[in-house]
Amino acid sequence: MKRVGEIRVSFELNGKTMEVEVPPHWTLLRLLRERLGLTGTKEGCGIGECGACTVLLDGLPVNSCLILVPKVEGRRVETVEGLGGRESLHPLQRSFIEHGAVQCGFCTPGMLMSAKALLEKNPKPTREEIKEAISGNLCRCTGYQQIIEAIEAIGK
Amino acid sequence: MIPPFQYKIPKNLQEACELLWDYREKAKVIAGGTDLIIALRNGLLRPEVLIDITHLSELRKIEERDGIISIGGAVTHSEISSSPIIRTYGRILSEAASQIGSPQIRNTGTIGGNIVNASPAADTLPPLMVLEAMGKVVSKEGEKEVPIDSLIQGPYRSTLLPHEILVSISIKKLHPHMKESFIRLARRDGMAIARMSIAVLLQREGNRMKEVRISVGAVTPTPQRMKEAESLLEDQPFDLERLRVASEKISSEMVLRSGVRPSTSYKSPVVKALVMRAIQQAFENRQ
Repeated sequence: MKRVGEIRVSFELNGKTMEVEVPPHWTLLRLLRERLGLTGTKEGCGIGECGACTVLLDGLPVNSCLILVPKVEGRRVETVEGLGGRESLHPLQRSFIEHGAVQCGFCTPGMLMSAKALLEKNPKPTREEIKEAISGNLCRCTGYQQIIEAIEAIGK
Repeated sequence: MIPPFQYKIPKNLQEACELLWDYREKAKVIAGGTDLIIALRNGLLRPEVLIDITHLSELRKIEERDGIISIGGAVTHSEISSSPIIRTYGRILSEAASQIGSPQIRNTGTIGGNIVNASPAADTLPPLMVLEAMGKVVSKEGEKEVPIDSLIQGPYRSTLLPHEILVSISIKKLHPHMKESFIRLARRDGMAIARMSIAVLLQREGNRMKEVRISVGAVTPTPQRMKEAESLLEDQPFDLERLRVASEKISSEMVLRSGVRPSTSYKSPVVKALVMRAIQQAFENRQ
């Protein structure tokens, strides 16, 4: 049942068709975390500066804190939950673990999504291209080196 | 938390104009939303209705016709920086678009939004000003073509009326003899707003500078052309002393328009150095 003030939005989420009823002032981030229980996507700054909430929209990285839910109608959304699970890690996830690219882990889901978008477009990125691709994702622990190495290792 | 509002997705431009005509000040247009959502979150805006214009076909295309390149208002910064047409004929704009914010912001934010949000640090405005871009404004009352600088009233204030939409931006295909330079200075490369940006276009004829166009961003309350400095260089031979005089003109214009601020003693020498560097780069075609 659609409640007053809510809108119906259908979209593809991690390969599955979804239909939800939410108020239009909800962000995609809020929908993912509070309605769909996908808490892998993090809220950091909430104003599009830290990249912790990065998801892919039609394959492109975006800040889900700046995307209102009506904007995802008919589109394809990918979150970190779509990458792989505990039993079936995505090669990027495994590489992050192997390279010590995860410390507190808060930036990791967003980093992984930015890295995934990069590798899909450019399977063998240079170090500079990797840095550019994750320039919208802040990490306060690692100093980035291990993250860059983890992404680079996949491209090799 | 973002306060509630209604959300309308008009099917075509006409319907969008009708909706805006009906709601006026109660409505706000949303394109990429990268600035708007922050303003909603901070309580700076409380619209009753958001009208989403992102998908309207007139606002989505990049076209070239009769020497004019037209860019839809809802074209994203990523689309601009990867457009072969813009790279070839308006490279200074793709250069600026590729440096905005972060990949995430560039995939979402639009050129029309960057203009009408009218930030003093808006990255596309100095290049658009040297390209002498025009904006096509449409409303229920009709349509008009206006110079980009006339769309900017002051910091974060555009001259667009509540019922008007910036549908597209057009630039003349740049003559291959025109050379450009764009320099952007920020605290760091990614995600930091511009502290200063300089856009220069000029034509080199032997050792002379012709058609010199200079625009600065984040230096004055609104980005603007620096006509006096331009005229000091126009049809003059290239030499560093002349560049220094022109760059001092721009620095004094900054103080005149922005007043003396705590940062002025830092900014002034940097403005001068960057202006000189940008003109030199354009003249030597090094960018």
